[in-house]
Amino acid sequence: MTERTDELQPAGSAPSASTAEDQLLPQLVAHLREHRTRLRQEWAGRIQDSGLLHAMTPQEMVAETTSVYDNYVEVLETGSVEALQRYARDLSERIIPRGVETHEVVGIVLLLRDVLARSLFEKYQRDFGLLNRVLDAYEPAANRIANTVAVSFVDERERVIRQQQDSIRELSTPVLPVRERLLILPMIGVLDSERARQLTEQLLTGIRTHRAKVVVIDITGVPAVDESVANHLVRTVDASRLMGASVIITGLSPDIAQTLVTIGVDLSKMDTIGDLQGGLEEAERLLGYSVSRVDGAGAM
Amino acid sequence: MTGPKLVSILRQGSWLIASIHTALDDTQMVLFQQDLIEQIGRYRSRGVVIDVAALDVLDSFGARTLRTMAEMARLRGAETVIVGIQPDVAFAMVSLGMDTGSVPTALDLEEGLAYLARPGGRGPGHRGSAAG
Amino acid sequence: MSAAESVGMREDRRPHDDVAALIPMLRRIIEARVDDAATADDLVQETLVRVLAAAARVEPGMLEPYAIVTARNVVASMWRDQDRHRRNQHRVVDLDLPDPPDQDLLANEERTAVAEALSRLTDRERATLLAHEVSGQDTRSLAAEQGSTAGAVAAQLNRTRARLRVEYLLVQANVEPPTERCRPVLLALSGGDRRRQREVDAGRHLLECDVCARLSQPLMERAQPRDDEVRIPISTDADIVAARQAARELAARLGFARTELTLIATAVSEVTRNIVRFAGTGEVVVELVDRPRRGVQVTARDTGPGIPDVERALTDGYSTYSGLGLGLPGARRLMDEFAVVSEMGRGTTVTMTKWCGER
Repeated sequence: MTERTDELQPAGSAPSASTAEDQLLPQLVAHLREHRTRLRQEWAGRIQDSGLLHAMTPQEMVAETTSVYDNYVEVLETGSVEALQRYARDLSERIIPRGVETHEVVGIVLLLRDVLARSLFEKYQRDFGLLNRVLDAYEPAANRIANTVAVSFVDERERVIRQQQDSIRELSTPVLPVRERLLILPMIGVLDSERARQLTEQLLTGIRTHRAKVVVIDITGVPAVDESVANHLVRTVDASRLMGASVIITGLSPDIAQTLVTIGVDLSKMDTIGDLQGGLEEAERLLGYSVSRVDGAGAM
Repeated sequence: MTGPKLVSILRQGSWLIASIHTALDDTQMVLFQQDLIEQIGRYRSRGVVIDVAALDVLDSFGARTLRTMAEMARLRGAETVIVGIQPDVAFAMVSLGMDTGSVPTALDLEEGLAYLARPGGRGPGHRGSAAG
Repeated sequence: MSAAESVGMREDRRPHDDVAALIPMLRRIIEARVDDAATADDLVQETLVRVLAAAARVEPGMLEPYAIVTARNVVASMWRDQDRHRRNQHRVVDLDLPDPPDQDLLANEERTAVAEALSRLTDRERATLLAHEVSGQDTRSLAAEQGSTAGAVAAQLNRTRARLRVEYLLVQANVEPPTERCRPVLLALSGGDRRRQREVDAGRHLLECDVCARLSQPLMERAQPRDDEVRIPISTDADIVAARQAARELAARLGFARTELTLIATAVSEVTRNIVRFAGTGEVVVELVDRPRRGVQVTARDTGPGIPDVERALTDGYSTYSGLGLGLPGARRLMDEFAVVSEMGRGTTVTMTKWCGER
């Protein structure tokens, strides 16, 4: 009942608009704090309905949504995103290894924004002018929060990817046996003839050591190659075949494709696939094909 | 061929397993070819594995002879798979501009036999590496 | 008087200071050429003594170049002394045969042969050689007599000795060189001058000329046996395998990676097969080189019919025997440097090099 008088007062006394605006966010924050449990549950329900964050257990979901909710309200109250940034980074670090994607994180924050906006709508719907002013105060703050969370998540994700790339690069042998009979050769950085020669030697002996049947050479991390390195790459592919291994090339940039065509390589004779993920799927299909012995499937 | 055996040709059911034990000169390579083709005819073999793991070099003559052998075997009704090409030999072959043509290759004897044993195996249309 | 005095002062004091200032430079020059520190010290001292002795005669401002030249001469004369020592040992081995029963007779023939060989030298050559070897006159005083430099005299002595060995062998074998090219080739071999041997294409001539092939045997044996070179005569299929294995073994000493060794062996296999198929006989020489970089150089030469169109032979698909036409163009792809010289009716020489990567 007190609620009602509170909300009616600013509506009734429209003249001192600026002081009233100052009061809007604190009012809003008080409202969100008061209905914390109900709104948080509603939000969590919407997350589940949307199929987001399915990698989390229900307990984790409660803990994380509660933290996000409190941080969210705190930003509205203080106007400072620092605490939220810290939390978002921390959260990202925990959930990135579990395969949570950017769209999921952005999605849940937008859902929270909408759940809270709806509650405000219900609360102020009888005074249209006040509702408009409340939403005008809320929306920029809410968008700023969504933005902060998304940026923190993407930053963290890039950091993790860089770290993984670094550790791959630091491996003394870049030939990675991902699973039985499947090797990945991630080529990274500028290749000179000497390094190309070393990689070839490691790959070819790797094929023998690991008894590989399929090799995925990922050149996403190679900005460009000169003709001699391109030649070397083609020879490596052909030599791998002579040893009985199929080769899939992933991450072929238009520049490198152009260089290969220039030196007279028939690209249609090379098995190229856009990205590493697709390459690995194709590799598994090849391995599966030869293991499950499906007759009549398209021969290479 | 006299002296220590340079090559051996073993019969296993309808398959022949031919292993080269040391570097061969051109004359020895040709003798090996004649020997193998003769045995394919004699035993009516359906499949041949040629193990070249002991070869230090497969130059244009060596690679060409292997292709000829596979082609002659095919005319006699046998499918050939070449196994055991060493990493450095494979790289030198392709650098030279050679390959095994349409003759399939496999990592080693085990893989070569698995290739011959595959369902629907032994017949035209199956080319390229044994992984395919 | 005053002018004379100032000159006298320069003689007395200034040269010492100037010469002392040269010491660091002299030390650098000499240490760059002589490994042994004690020997280098001795040579620096000897240089200083010579420069000091000459300082009064040297134009002002010319002391530094004079000192540089002196330092180099001092080092060179040390080498020459060592050299002479080595050479004289060889002379003993070369010219003095063991002591069989008919020693006197042989010794007599020997003397006759040496005398005949000596008579074929020019007067000046003979005079200089005898003054040096028999009377023990050193190169410097010989140079002074001839208005030449000690270095030039030493080089001339080397050439004279090389000629003497060739003439001695010709007298002993009682043959006249059948062609005009024989003497220059034998001289280049006798002098051990590899650059000159290449200039006169000694290897090819030895394949063509039986007389020189026979005569050159003692000349080659006399040369220091080289462990960075292998020569494989080529005539049969089996020699192809021998040549490529020899090349692989020698190249392995440079630390080539396994893949590169196989590339080299494959290239040798291809060019050697060309010899067997087209020319019948020839030879393959594999040698380690260190200029301009470390690497392995293969020379395959024959005296066959020659290649009518080298350009075409280097094009993929050109083939005159039952290969795939990959011989020469294929081998070229495997190596870093590749050159073919062919002359119709005289034969073909393929030279190819693989550099050892920086590792």
